[in-house]
Amino acid sequence: MSQEIIGLTEGTAQQGVSRRSFIKGAIAASAAVSSSNYLFRANGGAVLAQTPAAGAVERLITVNVNGRSRRIEVPPMETLATTLRYKLGLTGTKLGCDRAECGACTVLVDGVPHYSCSLLAHSVQGREVTTIEGLEAEDGTLHPMQQAVLEEQGFQCAFCMSGFIMNTVALLESNPNPTRKQTAEWLSGNLCRCADYDKILTSVMRAAEITRGA
Amino acid sequence: MADYKLLGKNYQTPDMYAKVTGRSKYAEDHRAEGMVFCKLLVSPMPHARVRSIDASAAEALPGFEGILTADELPDEVEAPNEASLTNEPLYEGEPILAVAAVDEQTAAEAIELIHVDLEPLPFVLDPLDSLRPGGPDARLDGNTMRGRELGEIKWTAADMAGLAPGQIPMDAEAGEEWQYGDLEAGFAEADVVVEEHSYFQSLSHQPLESRTTLAYWAGGKLYVYPSVQSTARSVGPMARWAGVEPADVVVINEFTGGGFGGKISGYVQAQIPILLSKKIGKPVMMRVTRRDETSFGRARPGVQARIKLGMRRDGRITAVDVHAIGDSGPYGRRGDHMNVGSIGSLAYQPLNMRTRGSSVFTNTPPRGAQRAPGGVQSMTMLSPIIQKAAKQLGLDQVEVLKINAPEGQAQYGAPGQNGQQGNVSSAFVKEAIDKGAELFNWSERVQRSGQRNGSKVTGVGVGLSTYSAGASGVDGLFVIRPDGRMYIQSGVGNLGTGSTFDTMRAAAEGMDMPWEKCEVAWGDTSRHLPWSASQGGSSTTHAHTRSNWAAALDARQKLQEIAAHDLGGSASDYEIGGERVYRRGNPSQGLSFARAAQRAIDLGGRYDGHELPEDINGMTTVSATALAGQGLMGVAKDNFPEGGRRMSFVAGFAEVEVDTETGSIRMVDYAAGCDVGTVIHPKNFEGQVFGAAIQGFSIALSQKWVYDRRWGLLVAKRFYNNRPPGFLDVPHEQPMKWGAADLPDPFNPLGAKGIGEAAQGAGSAAVVNAIADALGQENGDFFRSPVTRDMILTQLEQAPTGHDRLTAHV
Amino acid sequence: MAVIRDVIPRLELFQPTSADEALALLAEHGSDAWVYAGGLDTLDWFKDRVKRPRVVVDLGGVDVLREIRPTADGIEIGAMARLIEVINHPAVRSQFPALAYAAQSAASPQIRNQGTIGGNVSQDTRCWYYRDGWTCYRAGGNICYASPPTAMNREHCILGASRCVAVNPSDTAPVLVALEAEMVVRRGRAERVVPAEDYFVGPEIDIERMTVLEPGDLLTAIRLPSTWAGTRVYFEKVRDRETWDFPLVNVATALRESGGTIQDARVVVNGVAPTPVRLTAVETALRGQARNEQTAERAGTIAIQGVAPLTHNGFKVNLMKNLVKRSIRDEPMSV
Repeated sequence: MSQEIIGLTEGTAQQGVSRRSFIKGAIAASAAVSSSNYLFRANGGAVLAQTPAAGAVERLITVNVNGRSRRIEVPPMETLATTLRYKLGLTGTKLGCDRAECGACTVLVDGVPHYSCSLLAHSVQGREVTTIEGLEAEDGTLHPMQQAVLEEQGFQCAFCMSGFIMNTVALLESNPNPTRKQTAEWLSGNLCRCADYDKILTSVMRAAEITRGA
Repeated sequence: MADYKLLGKNYQTPDMYAKVTGRSKYAEDHRAEGMVFCKLLVSPMPHARVRSIDASAAEALPGFEGILTADELPDEVEAPNEASLTNEPLYEGEPILAVAAVDEQTAAEAIELIHVDLEPLPFVLDPLDSLRPGGPDARLDGNTMRGRELGEIKWTAADMAGLAPGQIPMDAEAGEEWQYGDLEAGFAEADVVVEEHSYFQSLSHQPLESRTTLAYWAGGKLYVYPSVQSTARSVGPMARWAGVEPADVVVINEFTGGGFGGKISGYVQAQIPILLSKKIGKPVMMRVTRRDETSFGRARPGVQARIKLGMRRDGRITAVDVHAIGDSGPYGRRGDHMNVGSIGSLAYQPLNMRTRGSSVFTNTPPRGAQRAPGGVQSMTMLSPIIQKAAKQLGLDQVEVLKINAPEGQAQYGAPGQNGQQGNVSSAFVKEAIDKGAELFNWSERVQRSGQRNGSKVTGVGVGLSTYSAGASGVDGLFVIRPDGRMYIQSGVGNLGTGSTFDTMRAAAEGMDMPWEKCEVAWGDTSRHLPWSASQGGSSTTHAHTRSNWAAALDARQKLQEIAAHDLGGSASDYEIGGERVYRRGNPSQGLSFARAAQRAIDLGGRYDGHELPEDINGMTTVSATALAGQGLMGVAKDNFPEGGRRMSFVAGFAEVEVDTETGSIRMVDYAAGCDVGTVIHPKNFEGQVFGAAIQGFSIALSQKWVYDRRWGLLVAKRFYNNRPPGFLDVPHEQPMKWGAADLPDPFNPLGAKGIGEAAQGAGSAAVVNAIADALGQENGDFFRSPVTRDMILTQLEQAPTGHDRLTAHV
Repeated sequence: MAVIRDVIPRLELFQPTSADEALALLAEHGSDAWVYAGGLDTLDWFKDRVKRPRVVVDLGGVDVLREIRPTADGIEIGAMARLIEVINHPAVRSQFPALAYAAQSAASPQIRNQGTIGGNVSQDTRCWYYRDGWTCYRAGGNICYASPPTAMNREHCILGASRCVAVNPSDTAPVLVALEAEMVVRRGRAERVVPAEDYFVGPEIDIERMTVLEPGDLLTAIRLPSTWAGTRVYFEKVRDRETWDFPLVNVATALRESGGTIQDARVVVNGVAPTPVRLTAVETALRGQARNEQTAERAGTIAIQGVAPLTHNGFKVNLMKNLVKRSIRDEPMSV
């Protein structure tokens, strides 16, 4: 693979004068490259053939989401979050960072909280995926956490909400009587930029109350 | 506090059900038939010029749909304003061109096939580098704004003589200046003078939802689904960027995932899908990635300042002198650095004061208003200096804040043309401070100051913060229909603060209408919304309780007139209550609202909106006209008296525990005492007080940019590098506490002021002060935020830091 | 050609269901193949389009690699065991609680539900220049962007630099080295066992790798001998935020005591060098000493001999000293 690189020397903050030199050339991948970091790379740009190689996964897969099995076409590099949002019309799961560092995309896979942005859709075949849309009962009865949020006016912009709710569903399943500390630790992988943490905790404590009362 | 039926009570806002069930749609959740995706080719350099673009290989790719370059933008953007695309990018990540394709996979591959030839240009990251003699400029046309003119400020060798590197020459040239009193006399009167250089970091807004935008054209109209803080206020800008009349624009935005001031009335990058979809005739979804959002989303201007403060032995601040440099990014003009002075002058009422400053351009992301612009900087930078002076005098920190606190219609800030300063409409600050101190148990906790537990040491701190909390002159609009229900129109955006709906309850309150019989229309400008404040500037609570109350007064007057018309007597013989208008003293003589609504339609004219007040905004006129003939219309502009600028006040109290062996800081507890006038929705109020406080904590503790100075590129792009706070970084074992003075602002008929911004500086100031308190007078003063592990450890060892106190972005 | 981010490039995905099948794929595709364990480290590279293998071998379906089982002498943990499974396993918690504690300090709960111990111990460095695709030595170039005096190197190394100044960011790695774990690596039909201490590769040996694994290799299991089971093992991680963040410095110290005297010790720090660093000089100084404040203090001082901090990471020196000290002085913390 060849790399075409436009290089230049360092910036001018200290000197106040622009001094630049260009090094441009096609360089074999294994050879040393000149000092540069303003990169224009072409490595790996070859577009692969459409038909999968022998032994590679097929594009048509079956996923089980909110209790329903669906057969959909999914390229191998598609994440579960994208599949949910764009192929299955389930936009309740949000993308806040797409890098496993905010939790807005949290769903349950076999009841366990995962960042759906960091799971390949192909990895959840044969497993049960639950999203926010799958929480309410057929007759519309809300999950205790959803009910609690309504009562406590939990969350503000609510972009993080579905991720937090799904994670809390798993928490209450595992421990219906968590302390605030245990709750904060369980939910520590969910970011709230509005920083509604205090009110979120209040909502979870209320949800636990509802769960125990029910 | 007055006894209201609705205001001041908790209730479930009408948007909650959609949110908890995942039905609420944000910008990226919308779909349009035939929708294509666009991706952006952004600048890899901090400053460059595009010499050529070769997109031929991209255009040949199957699935390529279209391209938009800077040359195709319809309007010439006047420097130093920002365009949506550019051939001279001024920061890493600035969009140069956009490619639309059937899917993002194809758009990405297309972009990789585009060759852009860039000429690197000089760049600047640190404002002080640009101000120094011979220093470079971020822009080719200057390094600062003098008023409306682009210009250049360079300090001279004489200015810099005798200064250590990285210091500010107090009296050197500055772009702006104001003062009051006699500074020299003020310092002479002081018993202690503290002078420090202080640094406040630039940091991105980072709303969890990026500014993803979908746009399409149909029937000659533009339909745009942005992520904004105001539907009403975004129409004008979107129309301008699209090159059409506002009447031809529909903005749909029911839910927005955070803004913090960065999305107030739209953003110029919305122009990209707008123009692309017009060009290719298909709906275009521009998904803004987190990386992009960190680039062209907004950020708070950092400030580098030299501050001199004089305090009398009784704690009264006799003089303050500020020279503040604001990091302005590459575009526009920000006033944060000057607000350091003006907001400080309100909070502490210094007897004599001068503020000088310059906003300097840098090749870093564009700045915008971030929750209390300049206010958070003011509180965070001034509070430790006040604390230091107070400690030197052996005074209690809370007492010092009270001695200097504003009250009544206190004056503050830059004197105007007539030599007079502006003033606030009300200030019950001592009450707020007392409330907070009581909740926090200050008198007991302050005894723990410096207490050690193994390697850990405790500290407590208090900070007083203030910021704007109101706006006025917007309109209220509602209709009571013959079904007896009240339909209230809300042009307020929906960031989930609740004010979209909380403030509409003022209309229902004014009509004595049960909330169950009210419906709020919001989120879609085709639903006939009035001119509204943006859900920003902490303005909606104040502005819309007033405007809705005004609309209610208008409707009441009309109901009384209708009753008098039908039943005899004069309007003043009638009163409103229980969903009826009835004769005073003879309640059976009256009309139900339902009946009166029908009568309003029959009578027409003012009653059903066919005739409208002249002073309402043009947008409201259009909306009201569309609703004419549907029932009894309440429509009015807020013309209530002002009494001064509305400002809210929050006193924050924090306890921290610092581990001197690891530099770790644990937030133990926090409490806030507030003066916000009437609290209209306690649960939502709490969300604002603590949400803002926590954002303040992270300013004190973790969030910042880090730039490689040689290449001018941001190395802390990811959350795990720039560190927004999570659950375990904030107090969580016990609930935090808040209390409100509960004294209504006398110039607002409902007494309510906003809260969102005033509460943030309280958090950051209280924490920086608590850290300084923990580490003691020798090691505790940093005068630089955020205070990170390395800073604590380095300071404790008295080791060199590797940079100057004011160095930006390290 | 222009740079674009946040779209995973096309790839061929293989999902073998046995270790043999996986190994055959790795042998067949050689350096074209990428081992996909939990996927967290992987997807970062892919989404940034910096690393673009043609073939991805997803081990998620190879159940046998996930097992955690007691052995005749200790525990064997499959490389694909999720961190949460390691944390919750009764044998791990009773015999090697420090490993559970260290695993729990990694990342965030959702990542621990999905990320594997094999992935955690083998993970690539987090130098922000390297991660953002700058063409440094580690990326096959001929420069280090983090070492010059103007560079931002707060999180980089104070020891063991050799052109590259990045650090190993793993929390489980130092514990495994302290516990004398053995890494079971298969290649085709062959299997070899590498002591944890030798599993990591410094830049002076190979600047482009963090571990001994080469194309075709597969880490299948981690064996924990009972040598240090039930001894006093201390782990502590210091970081900026309490979740997600990688360590600034962490420490794992295993002490065998008898009657208040230290008989044997293994002291390992990470986040300070391109590989976890076993502090043999400290270990030597500890043997035969009473476990007290003075011994702990001395250990810390010895630990930092020979450090070479960079412009912005001088704080790591005292931090490392203090952590080593605490690891001897203080009670181990647990899950």
